[in-house]
Amino acid sequence: MSDKPKMIIPDSGMLMTPRSRRDILKLMAMGGSVVLLPSMLTACSDDDDVITPVGPGTGTALTIDFANGDTAILQFAYALEQLEADFYTKVLAASNAGTTNLTAADKAIMTDIKYHEVLHREYLKVALGTTFGFTITTTYGNLNFNDRTAVLATAKALEDTGVQAYNGAAQYIKDTNNLLAAGKIVSVEARHASAIADLISPNTAAFAPKVFDDVARPATIAGIAQGFIVQKLGFANAPATFVPGPNGVV
Amino acid sequence: MENMNIIDSVDPEILNAVDKRAREIAQGATVNGKLAALLALGSIPIALGAIAKDVYGQTTADVNNVLQFALLLEFLESDFYTRGVASTGMIPTAVLTVFTTIRDHENAHVTAIQSLLTSRGQTPRTKPVFDYTAKGNLAGFNFGAAQYSTFLAVAQAFEDTGVRAFKGQAGALINDKPILNAALAIHSVEARHASMIRRIRGGKGWISGNSRGDLPAFTQGVYDGEDNVLQGGINISTLTGASENGGTTAASEAFDEPLTMAQVTAIVTPFLP
Repeated sequence: MSDKPKMIIPDSGMLMTPRSRRDILKLMAMGGSVVLLPSMLTACSDDDDVITPVGPGTGTALTIDFANGDTAILQFAYALEQLEADFYTKVLAASNAGTTNLTAADKAIMTDIKYHEVLHREYLKVALGTTFGFTITTTYGNLNFNDRTAVLATAKALEDTGVQAYNGAAQYIKDTNNLLAAGKIVSVEARHASAIADLISPNTAAFAPKVFDDVARPATIAGIAQGFIVQKLGFANAPATFVPGPNGVV
Repeated sequence: MENMNIIDSVDPEILNAVDKRAREIAQGATVNGKLAALLALGSIPIALGAIAKDVYGQTTADVNNVLQFALLLEFLESDFYTRGVASTGMIPTAVLTVFTTIRDHENAHVTAIQSLLTSRGQTPRTKPVFDYTAKGNLAGFNFGAAQYSTFLAVAQAFEDTGVRAFKGQAGALINDKPILNAALAIHSVEARHASMIRRIRGGKGWISGNSRGDLPAFTQGVYDGEDNVLQGGINISTLTGASENGGTTAASEAFDEPLTMAQVTAIVTPFLP
C-alpha cells in the first residue's frame, strides 16, 4: 500500500490555510496518511475545527449581497442546491453501505433526486463563476442517516424549503431569463417534494398539502437553511419590501 | 390638454421610469422600430404607452390575458377531476383521497383566478363544455367505471401541461408581483400533482427526455422540448460529475421546460368544444 498518497505538514501554520485543510480531508477520504511532524502534535490538539463537527452558523460569514442583483438570487439558490446535493449524497452513501432501512423504492427516488440536485448545483456553479461562487460546509447535528424516518423527514423539509425559496425569491429577479431558469428548477423541486411526502404518507393529501404553495421571504429560508450550514448566513442590502403570496407572509 | 390629463393619471413611479428611459433614448439607447416611429411622429400619448411597455416589458392587458388563459386550464382540470371523482367505481378507493385533493385544489385555483380578474375590472371567461373524447382521440371515454387507466393518462397530460403552461407565462408577469406570486404558488402545486399522478401510474415523478411514455400519440406536444439540456448556454449533460449523476436523462429531468401560450392552446384544443 505504499502507493497511497501522503502529505507532510511541517508546521501548524499550514493547517490554517484552506488549501491544506482541504487536502487533509481529501487524503483521509482516499485512505492516505497525514504525517504530522513532532512540532505539530500540540498545535493539532487545539485545532478542533478540523477534527470535530461544528455547529450551524459558527463558521465564517457567508453574506449574500442583493446589490449584485440577480446574482444574489443565484447565490441564494446555489447555497440551497449545495445543501440538497450534499444531503442526498450522504443518504445514498449510507444506503450503499447497507446500513439503512430505506426501501428499494426510497432509494430509487432519492438516487434520481440526488442526480438532479447535483446538476442544479453544478449549473449554478458555472453560472456564478469563481467571482460569485462559494462552497458551503454542511452540518446535520445528530441526524441519523441510517434511519428512514429521519432521512425522509429531512428530505421533505429541504424540498419544501426549496419550493418556497424559489417561489419567494422570484419577485426579486429582474431578468426574465433568470426568472425562467428559477421556474425550470422550482417545479422539479416540487415534483421531488411530492414524491418524498408520499413516501412518508402514501396516498394521502401529503403530496400537495396546500392549494397554493408558500411564497417565503429569503430571510425565512435562510433561517431554515442555517440549521444545516456551518457558515454564518447573512444578507446585505436586502430588499426592504416583500410581496406576500396567496398564503400571506411566510 | 388631453395629454396633460393622461400624464396626470399615470402613476408617478411609471412616469419616473418612462422619464429615465426617455432620457436614455435621447442619449442614443436602442429602441424598437415602432417606438422610434411613434417618437418621431410626436404622438405623446401613444409613445408614452409604448415607452411604458418598453420599460416594463409587459402591459396590464398582457397580464389579464395570462389570467384568462390560466383560467381556461384550471377550468379544464377542475371539471375533469370533478367528473372523475363523481364517477362511481372508477377511481380505486386506495387513491381516492389523492384525487379529491387535486379536485379541491383545481376548484380553488379557478375561484382564485376569477377573483383576480374581477378585482382587475375584467370579466372572467366562462367555463366551456369540454370534449373528453378529445375529438375522437379518446373515443368513448366518458369517465366510465372501467376507464380508470384513460382517466389517469389524461390526468398526467393535463398536469404536465399545466406546469409547462404556467412556467411559460412567468416572464409576462415579472412586473406584477402579486400575480407572479399567485402564478408561481399554483405552478409548483401543479408540479406536485403531476409527480403524484405519474407515480400512481408507475412512472417517475419527473419527465425524462421528451418521452410521453404510454400516453396516446396526440399528447406528444405535452413533452416536445422537454429533452432540452441547454440552460442559459450551459450544457447540463456535460457538467462536472454529470456522467456519474444520471447523464443526459437526469440533465433533462432536472429542468422542466416552458410552453408558449400557442403550444398549450394546440394541446388543449382537442378538448375544447
